[in-house]
Amino acid sequence: MRLLAASLTALAALALPGTAMAQSTTATAGPFPVTGNVPGLCSGGTLSNANSSFALGVLIDTATGLRRTDLAAPPKILTGAFCTVRSNISISATALQSVNNIAAPGAGFSRTVHYTASASGWTTTPATFATGSASNPGSSQERSTAFQGDISVGIGSFSTGGGEGLRLVADTAYQGIVTVTLAVAN
Amino acid sequence: MTSLKATAAALALLVALPGVANAQSTSDDATVDVSGTVAGLCILGDPSRTSVPLGQLINTSGPQVGKLTAISAQTINLPNSFCNFAGTNLRVSAQALLSSDTNAVQTGFARAVNFTSTVSNWATQNATVTTAAAAGGATPSAQGTGGTQPAPKIADLTLTLNGFTVPSNLLLVAGTYSGSVTITLGPAATP
Repeated sequence: MRLLAASLTALAALALPGTAMAQSTTATAGPFPVTGNVPGLCSGGTLSNANSSFALGVLIDTATGLRRTDLAAPPKILTGAFCTVRSNISISATALQSVNNIAAPGAGFSRTVHYTASASGWTTTPATFATGSASNPGSSQERSTAFQGDISVGIGSFSTGGGEGLRLVADTAYQGIVTVTLAVAN
Repeated sequence: MTSLKATAAALALLVALPGVANAQSTSDDATVDVSGTVAGLCILGDPSRTSVPLGQLINTSGPQVGKLTAISAQTINLPNSFCNFAGTNLRVSAQALLSSDTNAVQTGFARAVNFTSTVSNWATQNATVTTAAAAGGATPSAQGTGGTQPAPKIADLTLTLNGFTVPSNLLLVAGTYSGSVTITLGPAATP
């Protein structure tokens, strides 16, 4: 019996060091996934110069009554426009027309000034829209990547509705509208 | 008288001897040790949740439109976590959230969201790490180690995710974003 007891003790003594080494277990939890999403989003930015009007001033040559040939207005800048994904930029416009004198103009007169509006800086080819054209295939352009930048919106290439020989009817206000749209491309 | 005394002594011896003889034949002793081992063990309790869905990450209006929205702290509890031996610590490793869109980001955009992961209530020094992914998604991994717990311990651990940021507060590209956090509890590394 004493011999047996001694043997058990010796075995235990031999086993303990090895067991102690194996005891150093490690626990792991996870990986816990952390997820989120960012939707496709476009922002038109902020319009420069604190107003949104192209002020052309007097439209006619007061010596002739015909449309001035030097009509011009500085471009408007949309600062900080962005899209978080592939996008389309499109532009549309309405012709300048007399606001108050809306009666059909008499012979030799017009109440319409056409022009071409453009939006550049977003795509390699600017988006353009001519108010006097029946179709404007270039009015929408696609950009394949997310982008942030300024968009310059301009107007030019003016013409008198009905023909350059027509004179514009008098009115204190002629008005047209240019609309630029940034949208997530499908 | 002498003879009588001798006789009496002899009788007493005779009486005593049977008793001695009996004790010697029925008693012995031996020792049997009872021994065992307890394995060193660390267990992390069942987490209160297994994922952290943050939902929509950006502002869709206002001056911060397109940029990271404010995200409240997120917690995961691991109750009854323990180690039955001394000299243990927590390690936390994290992967920043990255967009699934791996294309190079355009100027002004980022595809990474960094955050801080902290596991508390084990040692004096919490295990904490903050990811530092670049805007383009490089170096999203980070690891941190907490202080050493000098005794066996059982405790409710809390993993907290907070401090969500985007490099330079850039615009985030659209897409799904994913990252992860892993907690390890075990023996502190030997210096």
